[in-house]
Amino acid sequence: MAVSRLSRLAARARVPVFPALGMHGEPALHRLALTAGIELVDSPRHASLLLVAGGVPPDRHAALRRVHDQLPAPFATLWYRSEPLIELAGATRVDELDALPEALTTLHRELMQGQRGSSPRLLPDEPPNPWEGLGDDGHGGEGMMGGVPYGRPMVMNMTDDLRDGLTLDSLTVTLGPFLPMLPPGLSAEVTLQGDLVYAWTTQDAPYPTALGSVFFRALQEPVPIAELERARARHHLKRLHVALRLAGLERLALQALRLAFEPRVEQERVTKLRRRLGRSGFFRLTTTGQGRLEQGQARRVGGVAARAAGLEEDLRGRDAAYRRLGFTPILQDGGDTGARWRQTLAEIDQSLQLAHQAEREGAHTEVIGSVETPCGPWGEHRSEDASRLLDELLPGLEWDEALSTLASLDLAAVSEWPQETLQGSTEASGNGAESCEERRA
Amino acid sequence: MDYPLIVDLFFVLLSVLAVVSGWRVFCTDSMVRASFFLLVSFIAVGLIMILLAAQYLGVAMFFMMAVEMMVMALFMVMFMMNPAGLNPMMMVHQHRFAIVAGAVSFVVLAAVALLAEFPDSPLPADLDPVTSLGNELLGDSMLIFESAGIVLLTTMIGVVVLSSHRGRFGAAEEGSMPPGLAPGGEPAGMPKESDEGGGHHHHHCH
Amino acid sequence: MIVNELILPVILVTVVLVVGAYLVAVIDEAIAGALGLPRAANAWMAPLARGAWLLTQQANATEAPDWRAWRLAPALYLALAAIGLAVVPFSPTLIPTDLVTGVVLWGSIEALATVVIFLHGWSANTLLSLIGAYRYVALGLSYILISMFVLIGVALPAESLQFSQVVASQAELWNVIRQPLGLPLFLIVGLGVTFWGPLNLADSRDLAGGTASAISGPPRLVWNLARSAMLVAFSGAAASAFLGGWLGPWLPGPVWMLLKMLAVLAVLLLIGRLVPRVQPERCVTLMWVVLLPLSFVDLIWAGVEALW
Repeated sequence: MAVSRLSRLAARARVPVFPALGMHGEPALHRLALTAGIELVDSPRHASLLLVAGGVPPDRHAALRRVHDQLPAPFATLWYRSEPLIELAGATRVDELDALPEALTTLHRELMQGQRGSSPRLLPDEPPNPWEGLGDDGHGGEGMMGGVPYGRPMVMNMTDDLRDGLTLDSLTVTLGPFLPMLPPGLSAEVTLQGDLVYAWTTQDAPYPTALGSVFFRALQEPVPIAELERARARHHLKRLHVALRLAGLERLALQALRLAFEPRVEQERVTKLRRRLGRSGFFRLTTTGQGRLEQGQARRVGGVAARAAGLEEDLRGRDAAYRRLGFTPILQDGGDTGARWRQTLAEIDQSLQLAHQAEREGAHTEVIGSVETPCGPWGEHRSEDASRLLDELLPGLEWDEALSTLASLDLAAVSEWPQETLQGSTEASGNGAESCEERRA
Repeated sequence: MDYPLIVDLFFVLLSVLAVVSGWRVFCTDSMVRASFFLLVSFIAVGLIMILLAAQYLGVAMFFMMAVEMMVMALFMVMFMMNPAGLNPMMMVHQHRFAIVAGAVSFVVLAAVALLAEFPDSPLPADLDPVTSLGNELLGDSMLIFESAGIVLLTTMIGVVVLSSHRGRFGAAEEGSMPPGLAPGGEPAGMPKESDEGGGHHHHHCH
Repeated sequence: MIVNELILPVILVTVVLVVGAYLVAVIDEAIAGALGLPRAANAWMAPLARGAWLLTQQANATEAPDWRAWRLAPALYLALAAIGLAVVPFSPTLIPTDLVTGVVLWGSIEALATVVIFLHGWSANTLLSLIGAYRYVALGLSYILISMFVLIGVALPAESLQFSQVVASQAELWNVIRQPLGLPLFLIVGLGVTFWGPLNLADSRDLAGGTASAISGPPRLVWNLARSAMLVAFSGAAASAFLGGWLGPWLPGPVWMLLKMLAVLAVLLLIGRLVPRVQPERCVTLMWVVLLPLSFVDLIWAGVEALW
């Protein structure tokens, strides 16, 4: 009786969902962020539902199984446009974005009221590395040392510290590809001293980003500048959402996301967001001159990052239609995290202004065969993955600085399929994802 | 002196806690646990001091020891080659010497407790221990305490200033050479090629 | 005697902490709704439903954690909150424990909280919670000194380290006006001791929940409860030290005290929703270079004012 009352009450709680993103799973994330009654959590331990959104390449299945087993019982899984793992063949699968929030809510209610059993554990419950300590408790023997207890060796820090000589022991761990603070799909082997990143080796590149179809059409035919620029502003607003959420500015993050989904964003609302962001202390307290890109690095990343480092690289400048609208690239000279966000905000503003103006004049692009995407120039080649850059950029930063630097960079390659195709049919999603993967490998 | 039985009871319980947690310091296999067992022992002693009407000293003991043990634990983790102090390790060594030293100091302290003659001068009932301690510290002995305090503080600040150069990557490049990232490599955090850089060799690529 | 000295204070502290922690959740939910975040269907039910959900969830394990420390840390943090509230007076007569060194005890609670939070992160034996633990030590060691100077400042005009005397000394003028720097500095200390909002360096989003990233189920419920309870205890200390505690016209003392505590809570929760998380290095720099000197100024101000 009491137990059933407790579970009825528990069923009324916000639905705690841990999202494990596969290829092009972001739309699900955005939808859920805007849904009341659903809470996206950062740790699998804090969730009752594991949402796998988008196709997960087979080489990440082992990691997915580990994430799956970390959810505390009772828990269930839901697969959005993704093929469930073989062991979980009976799990719920949803392909319609609109049906997703409802499906999650129902699943949670059934789980809490005991109408549905917990998802089975997939891996044996034993340490990934066997006990290799010395003696019963691991100590004794060689001086004060005690072997390699659970695969974690005693470190021999013979190299000097990166900063001031106060060396904390280094810990080496593999992070990703489902860590929600990293770009989806990115995994890396990281050596940390305390919270200082000592070494960073990117192992798996992030999944390619899907752009709007207007950027693809712009390669082949003149497209309305208004449409192109609105799509660009939308892309940047979604990136801003991620960074603001990471910085603990939940409210402004949601405002940015809401703007990104408005059919016609008004410029005043972006200006208001910018002003609020400035007043909240975002630039003074959280982004503080870290993650500076050298010119060469900035060129490799391209797009906003390049212009934030003072490189005048913008294909739009070559288009006469843009020039007639009075377009000149905005530039910053800092090249650091703060400069990238100032640049992004300024470019969102500029894009909306161009869109407004172009709409009045009915302006279309004139250059064909190349387009400036939000991720950088697309001339002969699509923007390629630049995540290897992190190996040189992140060492020496504190964890917080490293993550805010990561959030400010758009490093993923551009997918060869437009967003609309990927979301149009499920077939395209699964197959497209895999072939992208093969192509890059 | 008459006081409720509960005071005796608490005294016994706290003494047992102090001794047992003190003993656990030497049995545990972790630097962090050892530090915090010691902290528990000190907290028990602090509570006993409060029972003995030394209210200020007892409470001061809590925060002094909490900060001290926290810093000690972190420094041990930093200086031992045990990642974050998470691996089990032997916390005791030099067994024979330690046993002899422990036994001797126990005998000496026990002898003091048993053989010394403690003064028997009951304090007046209206004595305010915190005020009298304050008067003692800041009255006649003020000069001694204050000068000792300031010397200690300047020493600490001096040590910090001498041993660090603004932050961990901060302005170390001005006048000092941070170590290389790789053994024998370029100094870390130095400006790559400043145009006015004094004493640098410039490489020009043509 | 036992009823008056033991049972009543324990009941008072427990009730204030539990109701207060519940109100913290409700107020935070209301503030979030007012700021345009997705609203819970019912702000009064939401904390209860969440608690029930955590109770039905399994408490998970990590690989070789320090079980005792891991399970004890949330309970110890809750105990520290209770001890902190126990020295806060609700009226000249309604004081759970009128310790003569109450102000110093608050300093000890902040120091011990640092230990407990570090232990919580360290004992889970996982990377992200360990980073949270390290960060909290840096934060804790920075704000403890500020807190001490600010609290000495309020003890000066009272000529006592007893919270009831501190309140009594504000009969003519509240400390929030007499020492204008004190309350803002102490509020920052409060955000630090509960690692709330901008000073949430230990359990932050970039660490997937930091020291709490590896816990679930009932231990997580206790941990969340303890954080809210610490916020309540802190608001009690702030209201007595700066806002004149039970002093006020018309209403009875305890009501004034509760209203002032709610006001402090509302301000802290609002800051928590509006200000982004401060970068750890920037935070430590701010603490030592700006706020610590400001706390010296506050102390000198208090001393000069007391001599006047």
